[in-house]
Amino acid sequence: MKAKRLFLVVSIIALIVAIVLISLEAYYVAVALIAGALIMGHRELWSLITKRKMPPIDERVRENTGRSVRNGFVFFALALAFLMLPFSVGIIEASTTVRILGGLFVAGGVVYLVSYLFYDRAQPKLSEREFKMLKIFLLVAGIALGTFIISIFLHNSIDALFGVEEPVFFSIAVFVSPVAFAVGIIGSLVIFTKGLFSTAV
Amino acid sequence: MKTRIKEYRAKYNITQERLAELVGVRRETIIFLEQGKYNPSLKLAYNVARALKTTIDEIFIFDD
Repeated sequence: MKAKRLFLVVSIIALIVAIVLISLEAYYVAVALIAGALIMGHRELWSLITKRKMPPIDERVRENTGRSVRNGFVFFALALAFLMLPFSVGIIEASTTVRILGGLFVAGGVVYLVSYLFYDRAQPKLSEREFKMLKIFLLVAGIALGTFIISIFLHNSIDALFGVEEPVFFSIAVFVSPVAFAVGIIGSLVIFTKGLFSTAV
Repeated sequence: MKTRIKEYRAKYNITQERLAELVGVRRETIIFLEQGKYNPSLKLAYNVARALKTTIDEIFIFDD
């Protein structure tokens, strides 16, 4: 039932994104998105059509999905960090805001790479409370990154559609998200480093 | 790792689909297990062995 609901939510989000992309005349991206969703969920879709039930999400599927998400996120963080590096160090002319944002994303990329490579060594040494805090900090960083991207998209969309200089999403993107991202990244780095260099087993 | 899942399935005349249903996994997972391409957790190994009315060490053979 849980898997069915998750599949439904992902399908609805993909459909909405596809409709938005088609309305923006980004046909290639929409086709790529639909093709990607079909490739990823073809087993689930086929099972729903033929047996009217979702295949179970067993431990192998969970492991594979977890690994894919982790790899994807590390790739995304690194790609973003490399893209922002020239702005943050001033190779490309940019405003102070962009430099700060660039620096934050570079820091984020480094933290995620280090976490990815040394997670197995640090995680067993963390106490239950520290591990919970690490999860919260990583979640805050992830949500801040998502909010940042969504806010920029919404701010620009409102500006393009209604010609209004919208202040709320602008403030979220430029002030709130970077601060939350910095807090998440620094917090997780502190706990992670503590776990990595701790002598406790 | 080698497994005797296929042998036991034939013994009890159980299809991969049915075994997957009994264990609560996907058919692909049973295929991977049969081919020795997936190392199951202790819980999954136990469930497979129980579904085939035998023990873990009878089903899964580890060669060093």
